Amino acid sequence: MAGGNPNKLAIRNRKLAINMNLYKYASPATFYPLAGKMIPWFAIPAALLFATGLFVGFFIAPPDFQQGEAYRIIFIHVPAAWMGMLLYVLMAIYAGVGWAFNARLSSMMASSLAVTGAMFTAISLITGAFWGKPTWGTWWVWDARMTSTLILMFLYIGFISLQAAIDDPRRADRAGAVLALVGVINIPIIYFSVQWWNTLHQGATIRILQKPTIRGSMLAALLIMLAACWLYSVAVVLIRLRCIILEREQNTSRFAEVGV
Amino acid sequence: MMNWPDLSMGGYGFYIWGSYLVSLVAIVWEVVSLKQRKKAITQQQQQSSNSVPASVLRGSINETTS
Repeated sequence: MAGGNPNKLAIRNRKLAINMNLYKYASPATFYPLAGKMIPWFAIPAALLFATGLFVGFFIAPPDFQQGEAYRIIFIHVPAAWMGMLLYVLMAIYAGVGWAFNARLSSMMASSLAVTGAMFTAISLITGAFWGKPTWGTWWVWDARMTSTLILMFLYIGFISLQAAIDDPRRADRAGAVLALVGVINIPIIYFSVQWWNTLHQGATIRILQKPTIRGSMLAALLIMLAACWLYSVAVVLIRLRCIILEREQNTSRFAEVGV
Repeated sequence: MMNWPDLSMGGYGFYIWGSYLVSLVAIVWEVVSLKQRKKAITQQQQQSSNSVPASVLRGSINETTS
């Protein structure tokens, strides 16, 4: 029978169509407009939650019985520190997937995450210094948690400058992926540093599976600020991802022009 | 505690407002630099679209594999 069974052909076409749908958004060109539609859904709630979190943190949460008002730095310091760590893990996963499966969009996502992760890590280090001065009497100590967080900052800076130094985007992606994946080892070190070593830094405020060490309104403000930081991160990472997609598209079209 | 908090924050004002100011500056810097980056891209696009048809620009994005 020439042409094959039309039924089988139809089934195969449908399977192909399903596959195409699944992979559709892995392509930068199709993801670009989707990302554009998603951004306001994260940016606007982020702004509202930042406002709510600061209101609860400054107007409703009472002063701490030990640290008085100084503890209010926690509402930005702890969410920023968490985001710095979480975004690093995400960056390493995306970079690894982009490397292993040759997925360009995934690698672009990693490059986009790096800048926001670095920004949050910088915020956590600086607000930590502002908190350390009045409570510990020093801006900085070479304490396990602070040192490992500083290393996290250097890993981000290393990732960003390594990628900036390599002209070919796919080679830059691969080099960045190696650095990002090796650096992941630092994340559990930061997380457990307050348990493994005798540190000046206080222990975890909120622990998985255990009761938090702070009361209702303080905890509420902290969690709202964390949600705000998450939503903010998604919004800015998507905006930057769109920029990266466009920049790489421009470069490739310029190459096409001269016939490379 | 619905009153406006005392700005001196029991003597910790400098540290608290300092932290939040630095964080605000970082966030504003990130958003503004992204806006500028986007603007630079669209300006470049307008320049290059004079020589290359828009359809070529749009089509090229699918063909880049490595």
